[in-house]
This record gives sequence, structure tokens and C-alpha cells, in this order.
Amino acid sequence: MTAVTMDVAAAPPRKRMSEEKFWAIVLIAPYVVVFALFVVYPVLYGFWLGSSANSFKKLFQDPIFVTTLWNTAIFVLVAVNLKMLVALGLSAFFILEYRWVRWLSVIFIIAWAMPSIPTILSVRWMFNPEWGLVNNLLFKWFQIEGPGWLTERHYGLTLAILMHIWKSLPFWTLILVAARLAIPRDLYESADVDGATRWQRFRFITWPAMRAPYMTSVLLSSIWTLGDFNSVYLLTGGGPNDSTQVLATLGVRYLRIDQIDVGMAAVICALPAILPMVFFLMKRLSRVDEQ
Amino acid sequence: MASVELHDVRKVYGGSITAIHGVDVEIPDGEFVVLVGPSGCGKSTLLRMIAGLEDITGGEVRIGAKRVNELPAKDRDIAMVFQSYALYPHMTVRENMGFSLRLRKAPKDEIDRGVANAAQILGLTPYLDRLPRHLSGGQRQRVAMGRAIVRNPQVFLFDEPLSNLDAKLRVQMRTELKALHQRLKTTSIYVTHDQVEAMTLADRIVVLHDGKVEQIGAPLDLYDRPANQFVAGFIGSPAMNFLGGTVRRSNGAAAVAMVDGTRLPLPAGAKGGDGQQVVYGVRPEHLALGDSGMGFPLVVSVVEPTGADTLVFGTVGGSEVCAVFDERHAFKPGETVHLAPKGDRVHVFNADDGAAL
Amino acid sequence: MTATRFLERLPLYLVGLAVALWTLLPIYHLLLIAVSPPDKAVAGDIIPQTVTLQNFITILGSKHNLVQNFWTQIWNSTLIAVVTALLTLVVGIGANFSISRLRIPGGRLITNIALLTYLIPAAFLAIPMYRTMGQYGFLDSPWSMIFAMVTLASPYAIWVMNQASAKLPVELDEAARIDGATPLQILRFVYLPLMAPTLVAIGIYALLLAWNEYLYAFLMLSTERQLTLAPALGIFLAFDDAPWALMMAAGALYALPPTIVYYMFRRYMVGGLTAGAVKG
Repeated sequence: MTAVTMDVAAAPPRKRMSEEKFWAIVLIAPYVVVFALFVVYPVLYGFWLGSSANSFKKLFQDPIFVTTLWNTAIFVLVAVNLKMLVALGLSAFFILEYRWVRWLSVIFIIAWAMPSIPTILSVRWMFNPEWGLVNNLLFKWFQIEGPGWLTERHYGLTLAILMHIWKSLPFWTLILVAARLAIPRDLYESADVDGATRWQRFRFITWPAMRAPYMTSVLLSSIWTLGDFNSVYLLTGGGPNDSTQVLATLGVRYLRIDQIDVGMAAVICALPAILPMVFFLMKRLSRVDEQ
Repeated sequence: MASVELHDVRKVYGGSITAIHGVDVEIPDGEFVVLVGPSGCGKSTLLRMIAGLEDITGGEVRIGAKRVNELPAKDRDIAMVFQSYALYPHMTVRENMGFSLRLRKAPKDEIDRGVANAAQILGLTPYLDRLPRHLSGGQRQRVAMGRAIVRNPQVFLFDEPLSNLDAKLRVQMRTELKALHQRLKTTSIYVTHDQVEAMTLADRIVVLHDGKVEQIGAPLDLYDRPANQFVAGFIGSPAMNFLGGTVRRSNGAAAVAMVDGTRLPLPAGAKGGDGQQVVYGVRPEHLALGDSGMGFPLVVSVVEPTGADTLVFGTVGGSEVCAVFDERHAFKPGETVHLAPKGDRVHVFNADDGAAL
Repeated sequence: MTATRFLERLPLYLVGLAVALWTLLPIYHLLLIAVSPPDKAVAGDIIPQTVTLQNFITILGSKHNLVQNFWTQIWNSTLIAVVTALLTLVVGIGANFSISRLRIPGGRLITNIALLTYLIPAAFLAIPMYRTMGQYGFLDSPWSMIFAMVTLASPYAIWVMNQASAKLPVELDEAARIDGATPLQILRFVYLPLMAPTLVAIGIYALLLAWNEYLYAFLMLSTERQLTLAPALGIFLAFDDAPWALMMAAGALYALPPTIVYYMFRRYMVGGLTAGAVKG
């Protein structure tokens, strides 16, 4: 939205660019350079690498590919929905105005503030089948031989999902708390006067106001969850026998064995799922930016 | 100090929406000119074009005889007071007022002297080290003016500077502004939608409507001799009464006949041929109570005593009319009183284009 | 408090307890192992029987071959994080000032395209970026990490800054222009002081992003003296009988600085970073 410069023929032509225009171009230049060198070129190059029929042939012939697709779908669907539902519930808890709730929210955020590697490694060790705390306690207290948590596909995937939720739950709770706080108090007061039940208050006031931020959060979180490498790689390493790989770790796995084109092909396979979400999010986010 | 000239100045947005249609105004050095008009009339756009904040689509703006169309705002040597004051929130009053001199790399003692002088004129000396958020609305307004004074610019531009103040303070600041101009005598261009401000402050008023100049003149000229129905209705409060009708002349006597037959007397010299469709205009304060034989009958609907005067609202031939009396009256709703225009202070406008006859 | 009120609030207390346990358990376990004697890390006690700082001493003295480059790696992490933060600020300030104050034509398009970067899953962009970093000759140098992190941080920076600077009235810039300020003087005297809180939030965000990043560092840095702490910790995993107590202690040391920084600047972070997210 810039004022359009309309020089009528009568006015003498501008001798030089206005100072504002000059600096506008100079100041935007660093970002444009960064964007061109480290986003545009890599993405185009990556597509070029991954778009050969041969890469896809190799990918589809890899027996772990189908498992990976399933794992990815389960990982994203379960992790995102579980996380967002819990965050929605917790946001109601964290807006309570008790001092101890305030303090708890300060503690709660630590999972998001900390780097994820140390805690993932901590959990990995906690669930180590032979030496980990969990199985040791199971044996000590109940004389049960605990399962091989990280060496069985279902347990491994479950723990990876929980790990992902542990890390990102505080952030999304914070977002939904902010959305809840944006709802005017007097709506609830007038609902109370009208004799609304707790459920009706949620159904007719909270949810209508929260729906848009909640859906945006679900979409954004889905994309970021697709790109979560750490929770799976550092916990199970994709094992046992590549049975817990997701697209993020599979792509990197190909890269590490020098088959970057197959890695890119794997990434391209996620596009049909990503693009509609990106389209929808861009509409939402750029509308926010406009305001 | 300098004169300001606008020659056929035009503003077109996006190639199609015309905001200003060729404005010509010449403002001699030292004059206080007010641009007045309803919101959306283009008065602020015009001011911002003079300031250099908007591109000039066509025509020419000259400050001190020098064409400034291509000159950026910072090189036009003007000062501007914004409606929102636009004080730098992170700078003290002193820093706000001295900012332009600091940018000009003026020596420190010159800045100090300039700021102290302006602060003294405006009574801001005790507040120099405060931040804007610790000042009252009136004080902020003064700082905004102080910032302009310190510059000692060629031209002062004011963009509705008083409209964020409460009514009482607005009147007080208006008086101070007038005194300030009488003291500094800097060419000033002042934008407002408030015709009372325009009347009290201006040497000359430019009335704008839909991006066109309706009339330029001294305040009382506009009041006494409005060029058209728009200016007549815009200048003066309460607004002029307008009644539509047809001119009837017979035996040297003239009147405007309304559709229902009510006859509105015209003074002897009034223009308008027999049978011409016109709008009859008379200001509320130019109506006097008369006997049943004189003037025209008003059916009273509401009486508003303000203490100083009495406003009477009612209908004449089905149209709303307002009259203002210095005396106190206690008319009853539904009562009929007779009103006659004082002297010959009646205006007649062409019904088609609103031009004064 | 009366008994009935306690019972009424009991569900709340239970939620609070669950939240606290869930949050603190992995961290408690991390610290528990970190203060265990190296050979006792397998004991399986909730309350440690012996507490020792031996692991920390080993690490800080670089007395084990897995931690022999600990100080170099701390330096690498710090350097990359600080330079990333500064460059992100430079890039972000330039772009935001150009887009929202100088109103460069196409500014909205640039913002939207920047946002698009933000919507590429991080692990997916890492793959082609690894290859292009190789072509640029940055692999295994701090620059690869710095540029990658600036790339990831700046779209968000621009977006958050756009929201913040939209709240600065445009009249301030106009007043400054009339006062005789050049665009750079407006940047220096008006924009920067007023944007300072947002800039702090963005700087800290980029700093933590770079310090905490594992995947990109793991891919792009390879020699041990070039590594940052994150991938250096991952190396422990390559050993079947990894010295877990040492690893947890190193993890605790690695996690401490960003956590402290986050809590120091929490006030700025929460306000600045959730501002735009809510309205969507």
C-alpha cells in the first residue's frame, strides 16, 4: 500500500530517486539476499534434485517407505490433536487468578524454554529397557519385567509422540491462554445473568471466540510437527529396524547415506498434505498482518 | 517567513480517485489562513501536500516564490502541528522541542536558547524534563506548538491541532494561538472542520467541499456574503435556515412563495425574477418576533433556553426552522409565532446550483 | 481454608500436580543422573543415595575424551548464537523499516513470502540447504549455522516487527521528516528507541533458536572442534555403553544458559512473541 507517484506531464521529471525510496531498497536488500541464497535457491535446487523419476523409483522400492508414511500420519495426527486438546483444556486452568497457578505457569513454560536435546536424552535413558529408571522401578515395586520401550515400534512411536507433546505443549497453551484472555469478561457476566451452565458458557461464548485461533494453531502445529526431527531421531534413532522413521528422519537418513535426491523425493511426498495447509494459513496470517 | 502559493493543485489517488480538483490560493507573508470544510473535503490532504507528506499530482506549490513540488518535507523549512501532536514518546519536552535543531547540527547553546525561549512563551519551563506521557492534554498541545516555534520556520502548518482537547481547553488554546500569531507573525495555514475556530482565528478562510474551493474570504465576508448555499450553511452556528420556494413579484413588493402558500418577504433590493425557483436563506439570529401581519408564521416544536439566549425550533410550511433570540421566551409547543427577517439580511440562492443570486 | 473449599478445589489441585509432575519429571531425571556417580547411573533410585559433582568437574576440566572439546564447543555455540542474533536484528530491522516505515512498493508481498519460509517444516528445508551450503563452501564452518539460523529466524522477526511497528503512529515519522530528519535519522532517533522492547524479544528469540538448534548443526558441522554443544551431545549416542551420567551433566550445563536467558527476558518474550498469533 504505497502512495502511487503520478507525475503529470506538466511536472518536470524527477531528477533522482527520492531519498526514501533509495533507503527503502538498501535496507530491504539484506533480507532479499538471505532469502534468495538460503531459501529460493535451495528449494528450487532441491525440487530439481528430487523430481527425477529415478529418485521416486528408489524411494518407492525402499521397504520402509510405506511404514514411514504410516508413522508420519499417526505421529502428526495424534500428536497435534492430543496436544491442542490438552492445551485448550489447560488454557482454562492457566487463566485462573490464583498465585500458585501463576507460579505453576512459570514452571510449566520451562519445557519450551529449554533446549530439547538434554531432556530427550534424559527420557531415552529413563526408558532404557535394561538400565533405565522406569523398568528398574517396575521390577523393584511390582516385580514386572518392563518391555523394551524404545526397541518396540508401538512403544517407541508413542514415546516419541509424548516427547514431542512435552516439548511443544507450553507454547500452544500460552497461545490459547492469550486467545482466552482476549474474550471480553462482560460476555461471561451477561451469560451468568442469563443463567448459562458451564457447558453453555463454553459452547456459546468461549468456543466461537477460540475457534479461529484454535484452527490456525492446529494447522501451524501440524506443519511444524511434520518437521520435528529431534523427538524421533534422538529417542529411537528411527529404529528398531527403521520401524519408527517419519518423513523428517527418513529424508535426513537418505541425506546421510548420500542419496539426497531420494531424500528430496521423500520430502516432496509430503507436499499434497502441506500445500493446502500452507494456503489456508497464508490467508489467515496475512490477514492478521494487515490489521 | 514567506508567502505560500497554490496554483491549480490537484491530487489523484491510484489514477482515478480525485481528492483535490485544482485549488488556487495565494497566501501573503504573515497571513493566518484557515482551510475549513466537512470531513473528507480534502483539507488535510491539501495541507499535507504543502508539507511534503503527500505527492502533488498536478499543479504547483510555491513557498516564498520557490517551487517546492519536488522538495522533500525536510527541506521545505516548514513546521507542522499534528492533530495527535505526534510527540516523540521517548524524548523529554526539552528533547522534543530541540529535535529539529539537533538534526540541523545547531550548537548546543543555540538549541538551549531556542528551547528556553519557546518554553517561556508557552509557559512550559517547569515541564522541560518531563516525558510527554506525564503531561496533560493541553500541555502536550503546547509542546507540539513549541516544537514548531523553536524551528522559526517559514510557515506554520496546523492539522486540526485543537480537536483532541476538551471544549473548555479548546477555547483557551484558540485564544493563545491567536495571540501567538499576532506576536510571531509567521505565515500560518490551519486546517479545521470547526467553523467557529475558523471564524475566530483566520485572517482569511478557504472553504473546501469535495476537493473544490467554494469560497475564499475574510471571516465576516463569508458570514455576510456567502457565495453559495454550501458556504452559507457551513459558516455560522446554528446553521442558516433554508426554505425552498418560487419568487413572486407584484406591485413592487417581492416574496418567496412556498408550496403550501406561505409567503416569505424579500427585501426591496433582492434579486430573482418573477417565477424563479429559489432557496430562501435566513440565519436564526436574524429573525425577530413580529405581529401577525408581518413575516411568516412558525409553529413551535421545541424551545431550548441556554441562559445567554433562547433557541426556538419549529416548522414553517412543513420545513424545519430555527430562530435565536437574545430575550427569554416561554413558547409552548404547538403555539404559532410570527417571525420577520431583520433588515435585509436575507439570502437567496438559485435552486438548481445553490449559487447566491 | 475450610475443608469444603479444599474439596471444591481438589480437581484444580490435581490438575496442578499433574502439570508439575509432567513438566518436571524429565528435568528431574536429567539432574538426578547428572549428580550420580558415573558408575551408579543405573541404580534406579528416585532419591539419589549419593550426590556428587564429579561429572561436572570432569566436563569442566575436559577430562574425558567425549568432552575434551567442551570449552571449544561452548565457544562455538556462543559465537553462532550471538552472531545469529545480531544478524537477525540487522536483517529484520532493515526489512521491517523498509516495509512498514518507508513503505517500499511490494512490501506486503515480501512479508507474505517471508511468512512462507516460516511454513516450511524445518527438517525438510534442512536437506536442500545442506547441499547448497556445500556449494557455497560454508559446510563445517560457523557461517553455515549462522546463515541457516538467520534464514529461519528472520521471517518470524519481520512478522513480529511488522505487528509491533504498526502500533507506532505514522505521524511520528512525518513529524520527524518535517523536523528535518533523513530516513536514517528517523531509524536512529525515532524507530529504534521505540521498537527496543520488540528488538530485545527478537534478539533473544534468535539467540535461543541458534543455541538450541540440533538438526542443522548435526548436518552441517562435522569436525569435533567445529561442533556446537547440541550435536556434540548427540555424539554420546553413538557409543553403546555411553557414560550416561557424564552426558546428563553435559546436557544440564548446555541447557542452563538458555534457560536463564529465557527467564531473564520472559517479560519481553511472552508479550512480543504471542502478539500476532492470537488474532488469527
